Amino acid sequence: MQPLAVRAGTLRRSFVAALASIVCVAVVPAKGASAGSGGREHTGAVPTAFAYVTNQGSETVSIVAIGEGGEKMQVTGEIKVPGKPAGIALSPDRRTVYVTAPEAKELVVIDRATADVRARVRAGEGPLGIAVNPVTGDVLVADWYEHKLLVLDATTLAVKGAVKTGQSPSGIAVTPDGGRILTTDRDSNQVSIIDAKSLAVVATVPVGERPFGIAIDADGQRAYTANVKSNDVSVIDIATARTVATYKVGRRPYAVALARGRAFVTDQYSATVTVIDLTSGEKLTSIPVGEHPEGIWSTASGSHVFIACWMENTLERVDTGTLKVTGKVEVGDGPRAFGDFLVEEAPSRAPR
Amino acid sequence: MIRALAATLAFSLTALAVAAVPADAHGPTRQKVNKTVEINAPADKVWKIIGNFQDMSWHPAVEKTEGSGGNEPGAKRKLTLKGGGTINEALSRYDAADHSLSYEITEVDVKVLPVNNYSSTLSVEGEGGKSVVRWKGAFYRGFTNNDPPPELNDEAAVKAVTGVYDAGLAAIKTAAEAGG
Repeated sequence: MQPLAVRAGTLRRSFVAALASIVCVAVVPAKGASAGSGGREHTGAVPTAFAYVTNQGSETVSIVAIGEGGEKMQVTGEIKVPGKPAGIALSPDRRTVYVTAPEAKELVVIDRATADVRARVRAGEGPLGIAVNPVTGDVLVADWYEHKLLVLDATTLAVKGAVKTGQSPSGIAVTPDGGRILTTDRDSNQVSIIDAKSLAVVATVPVGERPFGIAIDADGQRAYTANVKSNDVSVIDIATARTVATYKVGRRPYAVALARGRAFVTDQYSATVTVIDLTSGEKLTSIPVGEHPEGIWSTASGSHVFIACWMENTLERVDTGTLKVTGKVEVGDGPRAFGDFLVEEAPSRAPR
Repeated sequence: MIRALAATLAFSLTALAVAAVPADAHGPTRQKVNKTVEINAPADKVWKIIGNFQDMSWHPAVEKTEGSGGNEPGAKRKLTLKGGGTINEALSRYDAADHSLSYEITEVDVKVLPVNNYSSTLSVEGEGGKSVVRWKGAFYRGFTNNDPPPELNDEAAVKAVTGVYDAGLAAIKTAAEAGG
């Protein structure tokens, strides 16, 4: 952390105060989503899949009918979530949405059926990244400030375990068999591999600089981290706990989604999604999307990926076959959707 | 108004020493400021004022721009503010046809501007003889850990950037609408 010269604070405040008093101070325009209430009403072709998008600025979660069949995307509901919501995950039965609210230091539990907040519990000092163990249903929260992974019981919402990770754990991913939990330890430039049962760190793997988002393939063999500072993606072989490849992507990559044997990486500063063929390791293309793309997730079938564009206030849909943007919709202010935010109507599905 | 602003800046910044801040450190909540101004002048004319990354003299708080690399991505500039504080910036994207440029702050003392990890886009969109200038910024607050002091919290960061943008946009409007 940088040293803070407290003495100079008064001077600096006067600079800010003077600026603010001279110019007309306007609040950032809240464009907001034209959302109705309730989560399930829709018109026209019946959409069967929804995205839950955390909007950090407007402190809401937008519910979006994602039109996986190519229909128009539309916001069907909005849920108030104070505390600057960022991370998101879903229960194995897809009926419960878990959201981290870093400012409130809370885990927020949303019931999909009622589209309402069911519970809010304290979760460490800086809850950000979140995932759910697809087998046990345990809720896993990365505590950015305390450098820990917290394990919460899905029924009682009590913290039943904690693991010391590297510095500032960010993204979390779990192998499909529920056996291994991986965290990107952003300020340690590493991934921690944690045994889900014993909660022991079984290995740490050096990756690129400032890893943030992480995704694990359907076989549970490889993990992919988006490295914010080195502008690349590290490929980890989980069994041997080694980085086996590194792919250059756009600037300030944030998160990774996997579909059709390709990695889709959100490049915040480039405003693109870089697509990499995972067999050849070749970059296929960069797809221009809204500014500051952040959270990205694939449908279960891999037909589309959805991208939350933080500056643009949009959720955008990319066809993973044609590699084109085929839909977008305005959501709340500052969408992040960091984690698993897509629900398809089938009650359960194979984890990716 | 502009003069008062410059004078205030000059006074406030004189005594401040510059310390390096890790450019990539931040807490969980990124902030944004997105401001526009409508100008009664065509986009080309406005772009002539603001489209050179090596000259930020259009902003009332900027005393001097020194840099290298022209308007190519990767170009650097060092802004010396009226009163002596400095901000180092790098150009990340430049599109003359689209009247848009993006840049990042590579080094600034939080006492000069209470932000971390700041990136910004300045653009002009024409509508006949008129235009709209948009200035967008994304950044984290000055204090990178939990529970920041008030002068380095989210609100302080947004307020400071908003002030910089409002003053800059007002000055662009004045300059572009002046004369032929």
